[in-house]
Amino acid sequence: MTTDTRTKRFLSWIDFRFPLTEVFERHLSKYPAPTNLNIWYLFGFLLIVVLAMQIVTGLWLMMNYTNSAEEAFSSVEYIMRDVEYGWLIRYMHAAGASAFFALIYLHMFRGMMYGSYQKPRELIWLGGWFTYLILMAEGFTGYVLPWGQMSFWAAQVIISLFSSIPVVGEDLATWIRGDYLVSGITLSRLFAFHVVLLPILLIAIVFFHILALHEIGSNNPDGIDVKKHLDEDGVPLDTKPFFPYDISHDIFALGVFLIIFCSVVFFFPTGGGYIIEYVNYEPANPLSTPAHIVPSWYYTPFYAMLRAVDFPLFGLTAKFLGFATMMAAVAIFAVLPWLDRSPVKSIKYKGILSKTFLGIFVVSFFALCYLGMVPPTETKTLLSKIFTLGYFSYFLLMPIYTRIEKCKPVPERVAEA
Amino acid sequence: MKLLVFLAFAFFSGLSISAGDYKCGSIECYEFSPDTKDKESLQRGLSAYMNYCYGCHSLKYSRYKRVAEDLSIPLDIYEQNLIFDDSKIGDLMHISLKESKAIELLGAKPPDLTLEARLRSPEWVYTYLDTFYEDSSRPYGVNNKVYVNVSMPHVLEDIQLELSEEEYDRYIADITNFLTYVSDPSAETRKQLGIYVILFLLIFTAFAYLVYREFKKDLK
Repeated sequence: MTTDTRTKRFLSWIDFRFPLTEVFERHLSKYPAPTNLNIWYLFGFLLIVVLAMQIVTGLWLMMNYTNSAEEAFSSVEYIMRDVEYGWLIRYMHAAGASAFFALIYLHMFRGMMYGSYQKPRELIWLGGWFTYLILMAEGFTGYVLPWGQMSFWAAQVIISLFSSIPVVGEDLATWIRGDYLVSGITLSRLFAFHVVLLPILLIAIVFFHILALHEIGSNNPDGIDVKKHLDEDGVPLDTKPFFPYDISHDIFALGVFLIIFCSVVFFFPTGGGYIIEYVNYEPANPLSTPAHIVPSWYYTPFYAMLRAVDFPLFGLTAKFLGFATMMAAVAIFAVLPWLDRSPVKSIKYKGILSKTFLGIFVVSFFALCYLGMVPPTETKTLLSKIFTLGYFSYFLLMPIYTRIEKCKPVPERVAEA
Repeated sequence: MKLLVFLAFAFFSGLSISAGDYKCGSIECYEFSPDTKDKESLQRGLSAYMNYCYGCHSLKYSRYKRVAEDLSIPLDIYEQNLIFDDSKIGDLMHISLKESKAIELLGAKPPDLTLEARLRSPEWVYTYLDTFYEDSSRPYGVNNKVYVNVSMPHVLEDIQLELSEEEYDRYIADITNFLTYVSDPSAETRKQLGIYVILFLLIFTAFAYLVYREFKKDLK
């Protein structure tokens, strides 16, 4: 018996009991990807790689990290100095967090540009949105763990936001902290969330996201429904199998990504203070507040919105309204599929209004990202207000502008695009 | 308690914003680029640090042995000359000055300086060491332009008087280099390893590109 037939016999033994070949072909080797996918379609694959990297580096960090207020800070320095390649593991994990957000923002923007959230991909979009929510919680809880000054004060500021909720706020904030102030109790519960609860949810929801995607199939830059034209085997004509065509593309992209990522890890591990804040090299001290408490760059657009709302309204405090605005800015992504009334998916075929509002959204997002990083002044707060309106106008006016604008006809086949 | 924290918050945020116009306290930082490759400078910096700073400022996240090895100092020589108490060579660099004693003497607890150069920047450390000036209103008769109203006396005063300006600049440059090294001891290893990693990735990516290009031809 040759090895070849032996492998086949082994596989058929498995397949009789578990759909191994079927799952492998359906989700990987034969998954039909549209032929017109472009560079924007790489980020999903890269996100999976970064997720895997965060899990592996996180596991090794956890082996040496101590989750108590007394020892957390020194255990991180122990990892940096005494653990073999501990510095590499930690820098990868820290830069990995920033990479995760950079990639997920690009991935989300791709969806917004090409209408990947539209029918019948609403659940894929919702799964992705939920992944983003969990990732934000994961980023925040992870940021607290080194228990430096910024860790402590970021936890203090973020958790105190909940206390602005009318009636139940104070009790809710105390319940989240597990204490009247941010303390070792808060640290160890955030640690438990960071390493157990949130990663489990993250993996589960990513699994859901991919399963839903593979059921419906990928969208494409032209928003063409490739399933309308099938070959005799029922495979869409305008697609190619994932293996070897997409995987070769993705691995090349992975190489490029890793060159950028490793340049940061090995040569600029603190990212000029954007990946690891310099203030965080001082142990947490509840009696001394850092001059500027700034969240990580990936939260700053929402932080800018929080600060932009500086006026009370309808008997609600400014702090609560700011908090609500910030939450709404994240939550509104979830209803995007139902706000878009356009008959076409891709921005290529939408009208001038859609293009303008997407442009306003992008400019507002970057402007708010910057405004959230710098200390507020009167002009900057005014700018934050304007850009907050810009951000929301993309979403809230969408039902109107997508209905009234004139769209270009979408071609039937990719070749005609 | 909550009120206390709030007051502390308000006070310190107000204070540091007013003092935070410059990166180095009341002045701009002096130009300085640390050189952590120069082992002789690091050794001189270590020796100066151990003699003038280590009495009050611990390096408690670092170990004697690691410093000795990284700075190419034989362990026996290091043990004989640079460990002042009964610490073992593998121990963390704790000082013997008790916190309560320090507060009694100086009115404040001298901070650990292992991470100072990362927390503040090497330029800050260098400028700080160079900007002590006479001020009779302060308990030790000196004040500092970078850390205004610092509780620390000018411990390098004798050295500064003894050396020429140029020699003193080199002296504090050595200390700054050493503190920069100790704040991130893996930096040199990291950069060396990084070059090999990037070289590997460039070759990997070049081949990955060729594979991608080959398969792309099929689709045309």
